[in-house]
Amino acid sequence: MSTPEADRAQLERKTRKAFQVLVLQRGRNPGVKGWEMRRYLGKDYKKIVEVLSDDLKPLGLEVFQVPGPEGTDDSIRFLLRFREAPTLTEAETAGFRIDDLAVLAASIALINSKQGRISRKELETFLRNKFPRWRIDYAVERYVKRGYLDRDDKDMLRIGWRTRAEVDERSLMTLILAQGTQATSKL
Amino acid sequence: MAIGGATSDGRKDSRDKKLEDILRLIELCRNIESSSVSPFEVDIREKLSLLKKHMPDWALIDVMLKDSEAMQRLVTIVKLQDAWLKHRASALFIDPLLLELKIQMISKEELADSFAKCWHPIAQVDQLTSKGLEKAFVYWRDLVPMSERFKDQFGKYGTEAGTIQLEELESLNIFTKEEFESRLNELYKELLDRSKGVETDYRDFVAGKTPEETALRAYLLAFVVTEGRATLRVDPLTEQIFVSTVQGTPGPGTKSVAIVVR
Repeated sequence: MSTPEADRAQLERKTRKAFQVLVLQRGRNPGVKGWEMRRYLGKDYKKIVEVLSDDLKPLGLEVFQVPGPEGTDDSIRFLLRFREAPTLTEAETAGFRIDDLAVLAASIALINSKQGRISRKELETFLRNKFPRWRIDYAVERYVKRGYLDRDDKDMLRIGWRTRAEVDERSLMTLILAQGTQATSKL
Repeated sequence: MAIGGATSDGRKDSRDKKLEDILRLIELCRNIESSSVSPFEVDIREKLSLLKKHMPDWALIDVMLKDSEAMQRLVTIVKLQDAWLKHRASALFIDPLLLELKIQMISKEELADSFAKCWHPIAQVDQLTSKGLEKAFVYWRDLVPMSERFKDQFGKYGTEAGTIQLEELESLNIFTKEEFESRLNELYKELLDRSKGVETDYRDFVAGKTPEETALRAYLLAFVVTEGRATLRVDPLTEQIFVSTVQGTPGPGTKSVAIVVR
């Protein structure tokens, strides 16, 4: 029969293991699938992930779950991400220019408003009203490579896995719609 | 005989029309798959009954294959309709026209700010794995030298990239000395107006309406910088390039930079 101390020690050991598994990149894309977490931590892996997420709070991090295409527990992708959003200046120091972030924000919002898919040509035509052509080509290609956007063989763009993991899409849509009204209400 | 021939022609015409219906259906589905048009533009029930009606008339295997392709395209459209409904119910749906208008109205800074406010970057340690190292080694080992790489396609034709001097441009009648000077002064004045004593983004400044104009402005600006009337600064973190008019004498950290003009 296990003692409470032994249980606590085991939980701590598994939490440490969960952190190590999550922080080290294994495959091409970051994050660990549900079935891998079960293999590393046992069947109670979800509870351990919850404990870890709580422990990471003082560091400003959290464990985030991205549902998989099959909708099963095994296909969920677990990721470590920032709990709070960075400031625009911090985002810039991470190598993102304001123009690049604006292209991404507009692309995500437009794709979502078009039922989750849009042809690359249509997106580029729309963005050309606001951004120079060379920047759009460069930014869209970069965001496809980094997983923010997903491109299929018919050159249709969809929301990529990284956007699902990093961006609160609903808030983004609301914030974009609220941008002009905030200024108006201030007046 | 004449009546029999007319009947046979009539049957052929009717069969051609039916085949045309199927080809048109395939094209419609293809268009919807490769655009953001609503998949509900296709009336599945009507198209299925059309396929069902024409089915007994097909005798050739090629036509049957077209029929099955049409069927497969309809299945894809049903799948798109399912995704469309799920998306519409997910509260992410906003009228595209409203959103497009909004994006046009707000500034780039406001767009970027909206994004930053709901962005939670992934935290992760990047590392070089032994597999990655092996892949890099194999790539480097098998990489053909630059001089050999395009020999098959282009042979030894073409000239290497080089530099062009002002004298050469003058001899090619691209510039005259006077025109060049006046254009330099115009560009310098524009820089003075636009920068107003502070730094301005280099790429925004040199951007012209056409790539040729951009290249020309970048070329002229290089002369303004060389003459010491303007200076460039590269942000080491973002690699953003800034240009400003020179105030005071250049310091010891001044150096020449190469910029790729896109």
